Formats: sequence, structure tokens, C-alpha cells
Amino acid sequence: MAPDAPVPPGGPTAEDAPPPPGAVEPPPRRWGELVLALATTALGVYVLVAAGSITVPGSSNTLGPRAFPYLVGGMLVAAGVVLVVLILSGRTGQEEGGEDVDPSVRTDWLTVVLLVVILVVHVFAINAVGWPFAAALLFGGAAVVLGARPWWRAALAGLVLGLVIQVIFGGLLGLSLPAGPLLEGVPFLRG
Amino acid sequence: MDNFSALIEGFATVLHPMYLLYALFGVFVGTAVGVLPGIGPAMTIALLLPLTYSLEPTAAIIVFAGIYYGGMYGGSTTSILLNTPGESASIVTAIEGNRMARAGRGAAALATAAIGSFVAGSIATVALTFLAPVVAGWAVQLGEPDYFALMVVAFVTVGALLGSSVPRGLASLSLGLFLGLIGTDTLTGQQRFTFGVPNLADGIDVVVVAVGLFAVGEAVYVGSRMRHGPIRVIPVEKGWRTWMKRDDWRRSWKPWLRGAAIGFPVGTIPAGGADVATFLSYAAERRLAGPRRKQFGKGAIEGVAGPEAANNAAASGVLVPLLTLGLPTTATAAIIIVAFQSYGIQPGPMLLQNESSLVWALIASLYVGNLMLVVLNLPLVGMWVKVLRIPRHYLYAGILLFGALGSYALNFAPVDVLLLVLIGLIGFFMRRYGYPVAPLVVGMILGPMAEDRLRRSLAISQGDLSYLVTSPFAATAYAAIIVLLAVGIWLKRRERAEEA
Repeated sequence: MAPDAPVPPGGPTAEDAPPPPGAVEPPPRRWGELVLALATTALGVYVLVAAGSITVPGSSNTLGPRAFPYLVGGMLVAAGVVLVVLILSGRTGQEEGGEDVDPSVRTDWLTVVLLVVILVVHVFAINAVGWPFAAALLFGGAAVVLGARPWWRAALAGLVLGLVIQVIFGGLLGLSLPAGPLLEGVPFLRG
Repeated sequence: MDNFSALIEGFATVLHPMYLLYALFGVFVGTAVGVLPGIGPAMTIALLLPLTYSLEPTAAIIVFAGIYYGGMYGGSTTSILLNTPGESASIVTAIEGNRMARAGRGAAALATAAIGSFVAGSIATVALTFLAPVVAGWAVQLGEPDYFALMVVAFVTVGALLGSSVPRGLASLSLGLFLGLIGTDTLTGQQRFTFGVPNLADGIDVVVVAVGLFAVGEAVYVGSRMRHGPIRVIPVEKGWRTWMKRDDWRRSWKPWLRGAAIGFPVGTIPAGGADVATFLSYAAERRLAGPRRKQFGKGAIEGVAGPEAANNAAASGVLVPLLTLGLPTTATAAIIIVAFQSYGIQPGPMLLQNESSLVWALIASLYVGNLMLVVLNLPLVGMWVKVLRIPRHYLYAGILLFGALGSYALNFAPVDVLLLVLIGLIGFFMRRYGYPVAPLVVGMILGPMAEDRLRRSLAISQGDLSYLVTSPFAATAYAAIIVLLAVGIWLKRRERAEEA
């Protein structure tokens, strides 16, 4: 196994001069990272075990449907074990940067949970109230969670966006987006 | 001259007014979405896939070509005018271009990036025109073990080179391979890892995975660590006279040509894609700058011109293995394969014969799209600046909405959107802990193909494993892996040392 790329001394590279140097950040994220590495290993073990129960038809005399899964399972276990060792020895990963990512703030878990909840609600709302309203819920909800104020402007924007997409994609391009019980019978919304 | 007439025919198709409109639409939307921060070309195409579901294949491919190039142009605008680097391929541009913009030379930086992209993109498209038929003709002679060897090369380079950590890349790749296993085995008809769920018997749709990882995962990740406060876009001086002065042209044209010469070959080999090309070009320009070397890091125009040219040339180079071998070497290329597949078109050595008119229309539309972009990009800078100012909460809410729409539109089944959320959550954790997501997508798309080739090879040889390595091509490929890995890791190290 090739050794992991060494993390330069002083933690993550601070290439942007303006913000205060984030070098004084001890690795508080080791637990979550360890869980992810262990999950990778566990998935690999599961793949190895489950591969054994794939039915092999008698006709295939050479490489059957089990061989590749064994290989994949082995790779998962290998990668997972190496990562666990690396993390335990203190060499944690470098999280991804980005234009809108603030490297100096800690993860806001509440936002993550709320976004996932809104997405799940959106999924169940599609059939219940129709796609345009489910879309309004998703857009407005996500925007408010991410900091849009006042909330009613975000909700209004979501509603307009949902209806516009419904008209363009459902009405004009023929995607069968369900308009929902409220808009049943409006001709230009039908997919 | 057979290919030449085929290309002329491709132009005849593309210059049809309707298709010109599609191309214009593609480059426009591609640039607009590419300008949006946090959205790279892979995510642009993944998000816009649903837009093209109702188009006929030729129109859709032309739109994709426009989006592909447009996304590249848009990305450089973002990195020059916004004060933090985004899309990985343009990080070096961000260093030099951003410094230039801060010094009040933003227009010149944008102009040299756009014109350089046009020059290098056009040269690379010419190279693609001549190289693709040659490679395809040669690829037809490859046997099953040769293809398997090629795919192993792609797995190893993509897993090890796309991202900063080799084991994390490998884990991501393996996860993709696992997702590719889910479904019904094509050769024996056995169900694998379907957990008894009937929906999984057809496998997981790659579009859901790609959109989930790139769009939902990114939006949730940015949401968890959002940069608040005003968005600082560097103002650009008005008027075309400020674009480029005589001296800027004199300093730019050689880096453009060198960028094209570096970018295209690097793009064609599976060595990490545009990132490596831009970095190599930047290093070359700095070395050749002579007395001007001390300007580098403070806003040297050569440091924008070269890497931007290399970036676009590499984007064309990537299309060579994609169209002739069906081999994706970057995340964006993997998404393009998905787009092709959604139209029932399988990229590979037979593509140029079976879908000749489509391929030549695609190549012709690259020429046309490039021209449109260089014409569009500079006069519309004011509009792109407005796009850059979109409030972030609306931007990421919109990304989530379009991602959800895209997966719902696949089968009109809410289950797909639920799966999207799950994949998005995986994408979030991968980003947070530094796992690259690109190898996952590549693994999921290439995995089933590789398994197929491997098993066919061994069926031919009746289980003799040595058959896999005895063909001269396959042996060369396995030897090349070792060289590519050594060179690639060395480059990554230098890149990191340079950035630090």
C-alpha cells in the first residue's frame, strides 16, 4: 500500500492570507472519520460474506457471478483497514474546500439535519399535494434553513419557481410531473 | 479524406438553425451554471441532464457539448472575480487571475483566459478530429483482455490521482464498484445485493448517484459550513479597450500555444485530467518567465493564459478515450458517458462507425461552441457578475430543487428521490472527511463493464489467468500503470509543495 500523502506541518494549508491562520485547530473530527472508515470496512466484510450466497448456475464453468464481488469486498476491507490505521495514527483527511465554504467555522449539524428532513418531506409531498407545491416546500424550506429572511419571500420564490418549472417541464416539454389535487384540470400544467 | 467529409457533414448538421439554437442554449446555460460558485462541469451536466430528457439524441449531444465547454469558461470567470478558489482545475488561475483582478486588471485576466481557452480549445479540437478516428481504428483490434487492462489503468489512476489521499480514493472507488454490482448479473441473470427489493433488480440509476453526490452532497456540505456575510465580487472596468493591451497579447500568445500543447496530451491519458494539465502549464510558464518570474503569485498574465489554455485543451483531450474507448478519465467524462447511455448510445470503438453522424456533429459543435463562447463571454461579463451575486441561500436551495427534479424525472417515482437523499448524505460525509467523490462515479460506471470484460476474457481462455497479461497491449498497459502512478504521485506532491 502506498503511504498516505503526508499532511504538511501546521495542519491544512492556509493559502488565503486574509482570514486568521487556522493552524491552531486540533483534530476534533477523528471520531466521525473513524466511524466512516469502520463503516467502509464493515461494508467490505458484508460484501465478502454476502457474495458467498449468490447463486451460481451450474453452466458457468469459469468466473461466475461471485468473483467480482469478492474482489470488491476485499478492496473495501483493505481501504477501510488502512484508513482506520491512518486515522488512529493521527493522519486525518483534508476536508474539501470551496468558494462558499468557510474553513474557520465548525460544522452546523442542525442545518444538515434540517436540510435532510426537508428533502424527505419533499419526497412524500410530491404525491400528496402535487409537484409544484412539494417543490415550493423544498426550495422555500431549504432557503430559510440556509439563512433567507424574511421567510415569506423565500416561500413565495419557491412557489413561483415550482409553478414555472411545472409549466415549462410539465406543460411544454411533456415531463409527467403530477400537478396535484389542487391544480387538477388546469390544462397547461398537465404532463 | 473520408473523415474530412464526415466532419463537413457534421458541420452541415450543426449549422442547421435549430441546432445552432441548441448549441447557443447549451453554451449559455453551461456558462451561467458554470459561473455559479461551487458548481463544476460535472455537477453542471448532472444537474442539466433532466433538461435534455425530452430532446432527440443529436440535439441533446449538442447541448451537452455546449454545457461542457461553457462550464469550463464559466469556471474561470468565477475564480478570477471571486476571492476564493473553487473548481479544482482553475485553482492556479485563481491565484494569478484573482491577483490581477485585485490590481484592477480583471478585464485583461478574463480576456486572456477566454481567448486562450478559445485558441487552445480550437487547436485541441483539431487534434481530436484527427486523432479520434486513428485511435478508434486501432481500438477495434483490441481484445477482451486488452479492454480489461485499460479499465484497470483507469481504476488505478482515477482512484489514486483524483483526490489528495490514495486510500480514500481507493475506498471511494470500491464503494462505486459495489454500487455498480447491485442489480441483476448480466451474464448469469442472478440477482446480487438487491436485498430482496424488486426496485433494485435493475440496479441503481447512475444519474441518481451522480446528482446525489455532486449536487445534494455539495449543497448540504456547503450548508453545514456556509460563508456568511456579503459576497465580495471584484469589480471589472468597463469598455473593451481595457481587455487586453498590446503588451498583454505579446505576453499571452506563447503561453496559449504551450498550454494547448501540454493540455491535450495530458487530457488524453488517464492521469488526473485537467488539474494536472493546468498545474503543469503553470509550472512551465513560471520556469520560462525569466526576469518576470517574480511577478508570479502577484498577478502574472502568463500564469492565467497558460493554465486556462491547458484546461480547455485537456477538456478536448479527455474526449479522445471517451469517444473511442468508452473510457472515462475524469468525473465529468463519467457523467457524459451516463448522458450517452441514457440515449442508448454506448461510447467505444464502434461508436465512430455506428453513430458516425452523431459523433461528427458533436465534434463540429465543439468548434462552433468554442466560437460562440469567446464571442459571448467577454461582452456578457456584467451579467456573469450579477449571476455571481445570487444570494447563496437561494443558490443552494435551487441546486437541491433541480437535483430532486432530475432524479424524480427518471421514473417519476418518489423512491428515486429518497435514494437521492441517501446518496447525498453519503456525499456529504465523504466531502467532510476528505474522500474524493469522482472515483465513486467512475467506479460505478466502469465497474460493470470491467467485470464483463474480465469474465468474457476468462471464458475465452477457459479460466487461464495468464491470458489476461500475455497480449502485448495488456502487458504494456499494466507496465504503464506503475509509471503513471509514480509520475502522478510525484506531480501531486509537487503541486502540494507549490501550493503550500
